[in-house]
Amino acid sequence: MKNHLLRHLQVLFYSLGELARAPLTAFMTIVVIGITLALPAALYALIGNLQRVGGGWDQGAQISLFLKLGTSRAAAETLAGQIRTMPDVASVRYISPASALKDFKRLSGFGNTLDLLDSNPLPPVLQVLPAGRTVGARAAQKLAQTLGQMPGVTQAQFDLEWVQRLDAILRLAQRGVLILALLLGVAVLLVVGNTIRLAILNRRTEIEVIKLIGGTDAFIRRPFLYTGLFQGLFGGLLAWILVAASLTLLAGPVRDLAGLYGSGFELAGLGLQAGTTLLLGGAALGWAGSRLAVSRHLRAIEPG
Amino acid sequence: MIKLSNVFKRYPGGFDALRDVSFEVDSKEMVFITGHSGAGKSTLLKILTLIEHASRGQVLVNNLNVARLPRRRIPHFRREIGVVFQDNKLLHDRTVFDNVALPLVVAGLSRQEIGRRARAALDKVGLLKKEKMYPVTLSGGEQQRVGIARAVVNKPALLLADEPTGNLDADMADQIIDLFYDFNRHGVCVLIATHDLRQIQRLRKRVIGLKDGEITVDSGSHTS
Repeated sequence: MKNHLLRHLQVLFYSLGELARAPLTAFMTIVVIGITLALPAALYALIGNLQRVGGGWDQGAQISLFLKLGTSRAAAETLAGQIRTMPDVASVRYISPASALKDFKRLSGFGNTLDLLDSNPLPPVLQVLPAGRTVGARAAQKLAQTLGQMPGVTQAQFDLEWVQRLDAILRLAQRGVLILALLLGVAVLLVVGNTIRLAILNRRTEIEVIKLIGGTDAFIRRPFLYTGLFQGLFGGLLAWILVAASLTLLAGPVRDLAGLYGSGFELAGLGLQAGTTLLLGGAALGWAGSRLAVSRHLRAIEPG
Repeated sequence: MIKLSNVFKRYPGGFDALRDVSFEVDSKEMVFITGHSGAGKSTLLKILTLIEHASRGQVLVNNLNVARLPRRRIPHFRREIGVVFQDNKLLHDRTVFDNVALPLVVAGLSRQEIGRRARAALDKVGLLKKEKMYPVTLSGGEQQRVGIARAVVNKPALLLADEPTGNLDADMADQIIDLFYDFNRHGVCVLIATHDLRQIQRLRKRVIGLKDGEITVDSGSHTS
């Protein structure tokens, strides 16, 4: 058993040495794998960030309270004061019917038509911002319900639709990234397979001799499998580095952009879990690609 | 050690390399197999090392019916036979020591055991001092001796050689054949395919002559 482990270690270091002996070939393969894996990983990181943006808006989603027509400003402010004392509420803003009409005229493009109206048909509105980062969409919905039952309130509208739409779009994008990752995974498999195929053909004589002196298929296969494994592992590592570097480059501009929107949003990296997945996935793909090539080509090499 | 009964070998395309070949070799024997190139010597050795399979007939090596050997057992079967090639088939990117040690590495022996046995084999062929050199820096005769060391390092009971002196001058050829003779005296069954008649006359061992795939001469079992 100890001997067996030792032999595996020997082959492991031998394979590493092989990579070092042919650095250019190994480097090219690793770069190709790295770039191939970096693409879905970067998209994954991007979507994760967008979800965080959506999540931020989710919590910032406002509840609009439509008051009874003709409620006086003083009454509205009293109600606002009441609501402000509630623990789930961060802030309340009063919008008078006049300013609402002005906004509506400006935004709807019905300006002149609206001038024909005798009186302002719009009710006064209180805009309520739910408090706390932990308040999710569901809690906000509940708050809207409570507020809607308060006296003087005709309707409480919690507009989540666009957040839900964004969520749906992101889920779609996630699925897309998954499909892309699968396709590119196959590409990695083929890249490693091809490299290993060339390595096998390069060492044809050696394989023949080893077969002649009684080397088992497993013995011959081992160094190639380790080589594939290492190429995949280093490819995954490179992909991680590429994604991290790209995100670092983007961090500054993103901070500026977020600042313009009054947000303190910061780009997040891949994270340890996704990064580890990238490494292990790369290694597994490398191993599998090498395994494919080896099982296809080793049997064809027979002494004779 | 070896028993062939009515063995035929027909290659795809209809060429008959061996026709009705039968003979038996005792475990203490040394046998020369002679014949012109194309007579079937190499085919015979390939069948004994399971590189080729007989088309008909029975082949027993080490009391094992090779036709019944599953593919995955072939490596273990080959470890018990030492083979020396005309072109020695050394790996030129490895040192002499690594070449000789290869069968032991393949068999999964411990490091100490590998070192001990590989050096013993190199000592036997008189190349212990050159263990760190690469095969290309050695003479043809020395390379062939490295090949022999690799063939015997596993201590096989059967040693096969395909034209081991084919590329060597007379002096070196004598040395090589003497090495085989020495292994035979220590109890190894040796089978040498050669058309070097000088060696055959020099050692006066059993000779099996092949012509067009058929046995024409078999001087029979006798030890001198």
